[in-house]
Amino acid sequence: MADQAISVSSISKAYGQVVALSGVDLEVPKGSIVGLVGANGAGKTTLIRMLVGALRPDSGEIRVLGVDPFAHKRQVRSTIGYMPQAPVLYEDLTVLENVTFFGRGHMSESVEQKARSVLEFVDLRDQADRQIRALSGGQRQRASLAATLVHEPQMLFLDEPTAGVDPELRHTFWQRFRRLAESGVTLVVSTHQMDEVVHCDRVAIIRSGTVLANATPSELFSTGGATVRVHRGGDVVEQALRSLSDDLPGLLHNFGLDPRVTRIEVKEPTLEDVVLSMIGREGDHGAK
Amino acid sequence: MGPSRTRAVARRVLKQIRRDRRFMILVVAAPLLLVFFVKTLFDATSIPAAGQERFVVPFGAYIVHFATFILTAIVLVRERVAQTLERMFVNGYRQFEIVGGYLLGYTALATAVSTMVLVALQLLFNLGYDFQRLAESFIVLWLLAVISLSLGILVSNVAQTEGQVIPFIPLVIIPSFLFSGMMVPVDALPGWAQVISRVSPMYYANQVLQDLVAGTSLSSNLGAVMALPIYGILILGAATFTLREHS
Repeated sequence: MADQAISVSSISKAYGQVVALSGVDLEVPKGSIVGLVGANGAGKTTLIRMLVGALRPDSGEIRVLGVDPFAHKRQVRSTIGYMPQAPVLYEDLTVLENVTFFGRGHMSESVEQKARSVLEFVDLRDQADRQIRALSGGQRQRASLAATLVHEPQMLFLDEPTAGVDPELRHTFWQRFRRLAESGVTLVVSTHQMDEVVHCDRVAIIRSGTVLANATPSELFSTGGATVRVHRGGDVVEQALRSLSDDLPGLLHNFGLDPRVTRIEVKEPTLEDVVLSMIGREGDHGAK
Repeated sequence: MGPSRTRAVARRVLKQIRRDRRFMILVVAAPLLLVFFVKTLFDATSIPAAGQERFVVPFGAYIVHFATFILTAIVLVRERVAQTLERMFVNGYRQFEIVGGYLLGYTALATAVSTMVLVALQLLFNLGYDFQRLAESFIVLWLLAVISLSLGILVSNVAQTEGQVIPFIPLVIIPSFLFSGMMVPVDALPGWAQVISRVSPMYYANQVLQDLVAGTSLSSNLGAVMALPIYGILILGAATFTLREHS
């Protein structure tokens, strides 16, 4: 428990008849990157807003760094950084003014100096004096990230930070997140882009307000099984294996000595395939 | 940390006002235009100047009241809808710092509106007020403007969206005109209407302004004058208390 930065137990939330979260349990180890993965509307934003103390659950218990974020909101808020899904910034202020303003909530000294330093970290130093409305989508996301990092929080809650960001910048973002995790910061990052799962230490897959799986990427990958295509005579026989290491020897035993078999192909799914198969193609129902 | 965060909000609000020139022009020009409309209306009547004064000075105050009330009622809801309010809270700002910062920031604008309206009244209606009477009238208008800002914040706390705040605007603005005592003495109203009149800052402002028009200085009417800041503190407390940090 002491090594857990976040501990969530049986939290639920409904907006009228619409269930946003239902009985969610989650543990986030300190200094790790935990991905909240799910389709739009799965409940990721609701969960993050609860963790930062902006939305109260209907039931259940939340502990952030050992304390209740609603009962001890000052204590929790001084240690966390929150990046909302949209770049929530003042359009008519400059990048530096925005970052400095949000930084002043936690600091009274050297705010501008720290703001300039964090703008360097997100590669926005040259844009410091431009108004937000004059920036591209990617630059706005970076400015929003800077406003999240300026007070050097121990924990970061990033709600779809790479949404609408080009592939190169996404790569840069994840490099930055890894650097922060290596320095001891705990990151909770939501995403609906399945390929980003590989960057996380643990992944919680959310669908319709419930956590379907909470595992490391390799654990998830090992659940994916494989498909084997056996070319025999003029036919192709396709067989799904639940576990490649357990089931493949038996399959080779059955087909390997058959003289009509000309080729055996093994197709392993990508991590993205595994996550997509868990989330399902029918989409989510009823969650925000 | 408290005062520095309040100043940070006030500075930010002022920067935003300064950069939105169209907004600034509208906020100052619209009340002036309304004073001009009132002048046009009275020019079409045969009411003597002395009779006009009892109505137009409080009506000038009423223009200041609704202009400043609408400002904060809408702007703070916009902050909630844009989620910047939520981000401020998560980033450590507290209710009283946000309300205080907004009040400080918009007080500059409220001061400008109060000054312009008073100067327009003096010039258009030939009030002939000396400096002391002008200064005392300004104090009343300014206090009313600051209270109306707080009232706007309070109303914005009830609404979740800009659409929800719109029905509140006439609900506050129209009774504050009808039941302020400007048109009909408050004592002549039924009991429930008298209660509504005492909930509106216009009632207190009108009382003091009627005395000023009649020649009573503020210093000899302190009881009525003090009702305004006391009312303002209560509204400010309610606005701070009802500003929700989480949903």
